Amino acid sequence: MSAVDREADVVVVGAGYSGLSAARRLVDAGLDVVVVEARDRVGGRVWSETTPTGALVDHGGQWIGPTQHHLQALADEFGVTTFPTFDDGASLEIRDGGRYQFTGFVPTSDRSASADAVAALLELDLLSQQISPEEPWTHPDALELDRLTLGEWVSSEVGSAAARHMIATAVLAVFGAEPSELSLLYTLAYGHGGGSFSALLRTAGGAQERRFHGGAQQMALRLAEQLDDRVLLDAPVTSIAYGHGRVSVRADRADGNGNGNGNGNGGRAPWRVEAARAVVAIPLATQGRIAFDPPLPGRREQLTQHAPMGSVTKVHAVYERPFWRDDGLSGQVVSDSGALRVVFDDSPDDASHGVLMGFLAGHEDRVLDGAGPSGREAVALAELAAAFGPMAGSPVEFVEQHWSSEPFTRGGPVACLGPGVLSGCGPALRDPVGPIHWAGTETATAWSGYIDGAISSGIRAADEIVATLDRPLRRGS
Amino acid sequence: MATGQELIEAYTDWQVRCNGNQRLGKMLRGWDRTVHLVASDTGEGFTLSVAGSVLGDLQVGLAGQPDLVVTATSEDFADLFWGDLNPSEKYLSGDIVLAGSSEDVMRLDAMSMVAFLDQ
Repeated sequence: MSAVDREADVVVVGAGYSGLSAARRLVDAGLDVVVVEARDRVGGRVWSETTPTGALVDHGGQWIGPTQHHLQALADEFGVTTFPTFDDGASLEIRDGGRYQFTGFVPTSDRSASADAVAALLELDLLSQQISPEEPWTHPDALELDRLTLGEWVSSEVGSAAARHMIATAVLAVFGAEPSELSLLYTLAYGHGGGSFSALLRTAGGAQERRFHGGAQQMALRLAEQLDDRVLLDAPVTSIAYGHGRVSVRADRADGNGNGNGNGNGGRAPWRVEAARAVVAIPLATQGRIAFDPPLPGRREQLTQHAPMGSVTKVHAVYERPFWRDDGLSGQVVSDSGALRVVFDDSPDDASHGVLMGFLAGHEDRVLDGAGPSGREAVALAELAAAFGPMAGSPVEFVEQHWSSEPFTRGGPVACLGPGVLSGCGPALRDPVGPIHWAGTETATAWSGYIDGAISSGIRAADEIVATLDRPLRRGS
Repeated sequence: MATGQELIEAYTDWQVRCNGNQRLGKMLRGWDRTVHLVASDTGEGFTLSVAGSVLGDLQVGLAGQPDLVVTATSEDFADLFWGDLNPSEKYLSGDIVLAGSSEDVMRLDAMSMVAFLDQ
């Protein structure tokens, strides 16, 4: 075993919103904390970047909505302001190859299908209100609800094919997965965690209501600034050994010497931190790549094997101006087919240039994987041109973020639990294993899958650890 | 502005359409509620009850303990009942305000949207 490079009270794995929030809480409690992050940046699934043409894009999480109090508190603390997602004018519905305009929340070209979809959404919302977002597996019908996929429920409950397509589009936008990939129980708990499915889907009054001036990553950057040299970047964790109230986390750290360290591993060296407790705040799908010693309990192992990320590529097309607004269009599109099932106007608040943002999600995103960036760009631009006219096909810049090829996220936006996982392994989501505590948005009981859930999960994990304190941890417990 | 009489006429038209709609019948199953409507411009209040999947008549005045209170201008109420107004737009803009338990609000929101779409 290599020597210990650093000792701490708590080591936090992952410097996304969850890990950073946990770390800050622990530091505030007077503990010595180290955060080990695989990437060369903080923020995890939230990443704001200025493109070569000067456009600021959020490659990942970007919105804040009502009741997301944890995220709002961070924004307030750091003086980061928000502005409404552009929502004026008519939205576009692409259905059966036709292009229709509608206002409000629900497409209206096929009114009967929309009525079907609204009725189904209500049914799901009413069901979800009965499911505890904290412990969905305790519901008397949990096993039965967890045997079904959302797709099976939709097939049996929703008569019209057009309504089923509408629901599928909404599900793709939220989960990056098809209804057939999601357990009904998981979907219901997820919906209740955000208040209701309507809240998840809405712009005004919902999860997509507002954006951040300067991008959604800022609060993570500011947290990291506060934590200062407690945050170690570019250090993917490879193994976690634990036992006897101690935990030893080993990372593969850049050694600061790009010429290599003589071991033939490209300038990287093992680095080890020992602590009394750990918070693991990374996606479940990436936890399976860490070697735990001793192996984790079977239920926990099963959980990490059965929590795949959705598949999503987020694309931004940048234009000189938001020209669609001249035609009274909101820039929002919902489509029953094609690669871009959902599009938003992601222009800056001052509309100094125009940005259309869309998601390639689920099956289509996987199928287009082989097309590569240029193939995806061609498909996306053709679809934007079909919706908004030829000008939309010739942006000044096109950028994509292909989350599935990010080794430290492996997809997005969130874990998609299939049948049987929550009812079988649910308690393992948050139950600590010895000195190891679990965070990450997937463990949140409100707004799971969102930035807000990431923050609250980190705080919850930190509080679990603080609650066990009866003496200084580093001296052994 | 719509007079109380105009509002009742519009409601009656909506009531007949809703009570004849199978999908709404299913959505209203088991949802027996007292709803107060308050016209913000005229100050007039109305009461309707939902029982046995059927929308009852609109009564003038605020009677009984409401499960839900809907506040809007008399004009918006009339347009809503005539089917000329997209309720989801008006809820979002805050022009129509629903107050009640989250489940009751969810139900009224969805049923009024279905009534608007299914005409």
